[in-house]
Amino acid sequence: MADRRRINGPPGSTMPPVFEDDAGQPEIKNGKGRDRAPNVIRKMFLKTGVTPSASGSAYLEFAGSSNSGVSGLKLSCTVHGPRSLPRSSPFSPHIVLSAHVKYAPFATKQRRGYLRDPSERDLGTHLETALRGAIIADRWPKSGVDIIISIIEGDQDRETSKSQGDETWDMMNALSGCITVASAALADAGIDCVDTVAGGVAALVEDAGEGSTPRIVVDPIPSDHEKVLGACCIAYLPTRDEVTNLWFKGDLPASDAGLYTQLVENGIQASRNANRVLVECLGEATS
Amino acid sequence: MAQQQQHVLLSPAELAYLHSSLSLTPPIRPDGRSATQFRPLSAETGILPGTNGSARVCFADGTEAIVGVKAEIERTKRRWDDDGVYRENAQQHQEQEGEGKEGEGQEGSGDWVELTVEIPGLRDDDSGTAFLGRMLGEALLADGGFVGRLRVNRRFHWKVFLDILLISPPLSYPLPLLSLTTHLALLATRLPKLKSEGDEDPFFDDDWAAARYLYARDPVTKKVVERPPVTLLVMAVGGNIIFDPSKEELAVADVALAVSIGDDATATKTKEDEMEVDSSSGRNLKLLSIRTVDPPSRLTPPGVANAANSAYGHAQVVNTAATQKMPEARQTESEAVEGVWKPPRGGAKASVMGALVQKVLVKGGVADEVLDALEGVDTS
Repeated sequence: MADRRRINGPPGSTMPPVFEDDAGQPEIKNGKGRDRAPNVIRKMFLKTGVTPSASGSAYLEFAGSSNSGVSGLKLSCTVHGPRSLPRSSPFSPHIVLSAHVKYAPFATKQRRGYLRDPSERDLGTHLETALRGAIIADRWPKSGVDIIISIIEGDQDRETSKSQGDETWDMMNALSGCITVASAALADAGIDCVDTVAGGVAALVEDAGEGSTPRIVVDPIPSDHEKVLGACCIAYLPTRDEVTNLWFKGDLPASDAGLYTQLVENGIQASRNANRVLVECLGEATS
Repeated sequence: MAQQQQHVLLSPAELAYLHSSLSLTPPIRPDGRSATQFRPLSAETGILPGTNGSARVCFADGTEAIVGVKAEIERTKRRWDDDGVYRENAQQHQEQEGEGKEGEGQEGSGDWVELTVEIPGLRDDDSGTAFLGRMLGEALLADGGFVGRLRVNRRFHWKVFLDILLISPPLSYPLPLLSLTTHLALLATRLPKLKSEGDEDPFFDDDWAAARYLYARDPVTKKVVERPPVTLLVMAVGGNIIFDPSKEELAVADVALAVSIGDDATATKTKEDEMEVDSSSGRNLKLLSIRTVDPPSRLTPPGVANAANSAYGHAQVVNTAATQKMPEARQTESEAVEGVWKPPRGGAKASVMGALVQKVLVKGGVADEVLDALEGVDTS
């Protein structure tokens, strides 16, 4: 029987109302735009050794943007191992790497469940590809290492109700953060790598306003721009000048090959910048 | 990943042999194909009567896949900001203007498509399967026109379920097979013809013969005008670029990429209008997505050079102070010896990856060839 003594909520799910600041302005997306130069990544905070019980751990935080709803990305990574594989598992001449990426249930606008959904598994596979190139795997035969990343806060703009397709671009930012933080945690655990691998994102964006042409920016925040046309996330080893993981998504005409090359170059640049922070952090930790 | 490793049953010596023969110019592949040649395949469409569209592709190596496409009508979730009065007017205005050219400027959302991949012998929640599914879905959604096609009116849309089944055990990395099958199934997909108009509750023609194709065709020639994307698997060994690698070839890859391409039909159309050129002048390909596939070569066992192998009586060569201190470094830190297999370490140069992508996209190249071949399949 319906409860008539109280004021009940609506029976189904509803979308929260969003009030516009200015009635004359039809744009829902706040058009503040990007407050950094196109080739500058956001400020980062990286610290290793935050979880005492794990053999290696790191915490990474990206600064938010001037848009008040964007709170930045917060990641925590723990590395367990190298440890011996269970007796039942088959012989492996290499270290067996397994990467788990999990959004905290409260990390995004849409609540995430406790079980990993396909997009999180997908992120885990990307991360594994990026790290497997960096780790010198044959130094630990018959052993395994688990890399567990929890995304405590994903950077999504909470103020807008309109988030058309932004989630897919947010995943790229999340992956680049995951790569950087996992690399720091691996170094903290003392697992040998050929180099420190760091992630970087570059995107081709279109800004609001008349007559704006698409331009390439690094470390994009999707809500800063009117539209993201394409983006790529790159895991890069600076001293070897090699890419271990490349993930591109977008819609580029094949005739314009320069655009793709530029995107990749900018992605590498972003990853170099992140790597500088990473190296400095590791230097501080050892000194 | 550990399962993948078990499947490649090649010794280090075999791997080294395969690697060196694939690095030759021209490369010598185990099955005698040229570097850009695909495995021969047989394909048919419309095999499942209970679906809106279906296809079956069988590769010569015995791998086989079935894809079924089912569509359901679903109420479109309205966003709060869609209800503003000015917005309503603006939208109606836009729609009236754009009525002539259907399918353009219509927005859709990614959750109108549900794609599942089923591979025998792998768990449902296997991350490799999730990776494959996301990759195929990503290409579909990156081509923004696809979800636009699913729009019925402002209140309703089609929800498309793509069920991709690999029937045979995964004898090779199944990506190209699944992608080609999905492509054909989508080409053969038909949706009932809409009878209602505007924003009323949708009402459909129950004559299946009148159903229209999801991907439009030329009314006269019955040729497909627009096509869904395809994903190609490319790998680099030595200086060579090899298409559609088999499992053994993938086991010695330096880098493997999955590149999704689409056919930009609108660009072709406008070009034709402008210049009145013949329609067979080639396609306007577009790059939709690229993913690095973790090559199983990193998980292969390394070979041991004679110089480091104590069974050959050469143990004293390496028995220096450094190796005594770190015995495990003996094997791993030896420099590359000709003919001894060493799993690749590190990544690939950005220029190598760029070359792979270029090779896929080049005009009149493999992508064109594949799309031409798929055009030959009867999808009516």
